[in-house]
Amino acid sequence: MSLDRTKPLLLPLALMLALELWARLTQLQSDSLAPPSAIFAALAAALADLSIPIATRDTLFATFAGLAIGSAIGLALGIALGVSRPLDRLMEVTVEAIRPIPSIALLPIALIALGFGYRMEIVIVAFACVWPMLIMTRSAVRSIEPRLMEVSRALRLSAPQRIAKVVIPAALPRIFVAFRLSAGIALIVAVTVEIAINPIGLGAGIMLAQQALRADLMLAYLVWIGAIGYALNMLLIVAQRRLFGRAALAGDHP
Amino acid sequence: MKRAAILWRVASVLVAAGFIAAWQLIANLKLVSPVFLPGPDRAWAALVRGFSSGDLAGKLIGTLEHMAYGWFAASIAGIGLGALIGSSKMMRAYVAPSLEFLRPLPVSAIIPVAIAMLGLTQGMALFVIAFGAIWPIMLATIHGFAAVEPRLYEVARSLQMSRAAIIAKIALPSALPDILAGMRLSLTVALILSVVCEILAGLDGLGHWVLLSARAFRSADLFAGVILLGATGYVTSIAMSLLEQRLLAWQAAAR
Amino acid sequence: MSVVARLDEARAARRQKTLIAFNAATLRLGGKTIIENLDLQVRPGEFLCIVGASGCGKTTALRLAAGLYRPTSGAVTFDGEPITEPRREVAIVFQDYGKALLPWRTAAGNISLALEASRVPVRERGARIEALLRKVGLPGHADKYPTEMSGGMQQRLQIARCLAQEPSTLLMDEPFGALDAMTRQGLQDEVLSLTQASQTTVVFVTHDLDEAIYLGDRVIGLLPHPGRIGIELDVDLPRPRDQLATREHPEFLRLRRQLFDFIKATEH
Ligand SMILES: Nc1ncnc2c1ncn2[C@@H]1O[C@H](COP(=O)(O)OP(=O)(O)O)[C@@H](O)[C@H]1O
Ligand SMILES: [Mg+2]
Repeated sequence: MSLDRTKPLLLPLALMLALELWARLTQLQSDSLAPPSAIFAALAAALADLSIPIATRDTLFATFAGLAIGSAIGLALGIALGVSRPLDRLMEVTVEAIRPIPSIALLPIALIALGFGYRMEIVIVAFACVWPMLIMTRSAVRSIEPRLMEVSRALRLSAPQRIAKVVIPAALPRIFVAFRLSAGIALIVAVTVEIAINPIGLGAGIMLAQQALRADLMLAYLVWIGAIGYALNMLLIVAQRRLFGRAALAGDHP
Repeated sequence: MKRAAILWRVASVLVAAGFIAAWQLIANLKLVSPVFLPGPDRAWAALVRGFSSGDLAGKLIGTLEHMAYGWFAASIAGIGLGALIGSSKMMRAYVAPSLEFLRPLPVSAIIPVAIAMLGLTQGMALFVIAFGAIWPIMLATIHGFAAVEPRLYEVARSLQMSRAAIIAKIALPSALPDILAGMRLSLTVALILSVVCEILAGLDGLGHWVLLSARAFRSADLFAGVILLGATGYVTSIAMSLLEQRLLAWQAAAR
Repeated sequence: MSVVARLDEARAARRQKTLIAFNAATLRLGGKTIIENLDLQVRPGEFLCIVGASGCGKTTALRLAAGLYRPTSGAVTFDGEPITEPRREVAIVFQDYGKALLPWRTAAGNISLALEASRVPVRERGARIEALLRKVGLPGHADKYPTEMSGGMQQRLQIARCLAQEPSTLLMDEPFGALDAMTRQGLQDEVLSLTQASQTTVVFVTHDLDEAIYLGDRVIGLLPHPGRIGIELDVDLPRPRDQLATREHPEFLRLRRQLFDFIKATEH
């Protein structure tokens, strides 16, 4: 049993050890690689001088603000299109025309309209979050047990009551899955915008470290960004399990 | 039934046309400064102008090339590595958890590392695109291989099929729906990373085009580029759907 | 000596020979003894039925014979050689036909899998596939996917794929357990006519006592925890068997009662 638990750790540990040994033996001088000990030292230093915590705050602020706006829009549209088949059919071409635009293509538009900073990043993150939320909410709402909808009609609930008391609760487990996926996308898009152009947050931090030829700091940022991504995902998985039980996790593998 | 579907489609196109008309109206009334928002007429004119001068076609081809090379490389490597890892219990135990750990990593964070290693070059872009696009494919392949019905492996054993035949005739076709879903996801990743790399490294492509247009406040050209990027996403995803329909005809038979 | 007497002698001699033998075979899986000290002989050309309560180890015994499991101790042999791997002359028909067919291949493609495995040249495959489909009563269904076929048709297809291996022995694990009564009787007769003519040895697992007596030359009842032989009956009913006449035969009724009492007694 204990071997089963250590198995997953062996590969990363072995790789780190190999990199450390190789770096020391060859007295590595590189712009792109650094021994793990140096990476962790740089990480500790950047955490201590608050540069990484501040960058993390900036990135997460943009991530969550964009996520909140985007998923609210996606949720509202998804419910509307899921509940009303005619509306869905009327909007089909419009949705299919806008959806495939890669979110990052909006970057220059947002840039000239809003300039550098939080606002343009939030807009792009929000745009990216609308679609998974819309598509998955729509299909979640559509697959609600028809009997439930009949019951709500028999009880003569008004449309807002029906949505608040039947549709959202019934579709909630799958809507949360959509939210979890959107959160992952939000973080990815935020970091990408920062790397591409926006001079704030973790993405800008890692670019600066690269331009300063600080391989150790750059890789420290990379490790930290990975940890943030992992932590965010884990947090939401735990929340999902708490809220909806294990069953909700089944079947959301790609 | 069929006629109703066509009528709905027509109505849906009309709604989209309505949105474009509203956009035109907003532009004409200058509710938003034309510096930021050109009307659809100007965006269309820019599109036509760009193509007739050949500039835009070149940029489009550049982006398509980046995307295609990176995606193909990722598909081949992703399916190969995924099959290798997915078909062995030991590899799954030792390697798969590390890969799952890396899954939520924002792949664009690898860009600075790639720049440090390869400079602002075409090679860097291909590396980044392939690296980003490989994950969905590889993870889907591993999952598909792990989920093959065990009974089919027993059928293969009782037919004394070779290991290569088992992979080619049992595991790969069984995992194909997962693999294609991964490849579809990767297509989007490849397009996004192509644009980002073009922006950062100034490589010939639509990403570079939209950035330059924005810097010069040529909003019509900018929108022309964005429309083309949307079209690229749309057309590639349609092509992927056709491929899926083709290769997964047996699934349609089940319905 | 008369011809008849000589034939009887030949049959008696063949009866003495064994094709598949379990010699004190024991199988433990996950710390649990599933089969213990099983001694069982399958004679060449016979139709042997194995019955027993659910969970008593019938499937496991069949998988040992198929080479899908190896005994923990003792031996399972085919023609005197220990079975360590599946062999081409032994084919196994699984109960869950839905899982044992490749959903992405048509009926013809599924049969072709067996031909490909035994390296039948491409140009011979088409004719062989067509003949096999006709043999199991599926002519004209070559281009259907398994999911487009009924349960009975899918099981026929699996049998056709096994026959494509040209096996000398057919192992069948409750092949008709999931089918309705009419389909079941039709398939029973088809399996009999397919195997009797070619002298194929059959080991047929079922929990249906009537089915076992109707089909078999011999019926063995297994006892559970761990699996071992509890009863062995020779079925001396005339062949070819007939759904009505055979089932009304006094001997059939006598065997049925005997087997029924045995199973009843094990259910405590
Ligand atoms: N792989 C396995 N590991 C542990 N126990 C098993 C395994 N396969 C079967 N068993 C157990 O062995 C017993 C006999 O199973 P099986 O041969 O399938 O019975 P039958 O086919 O007669 O219904 C059952 O109690 C079952 O739970
Ligand atoms: Mg069984």
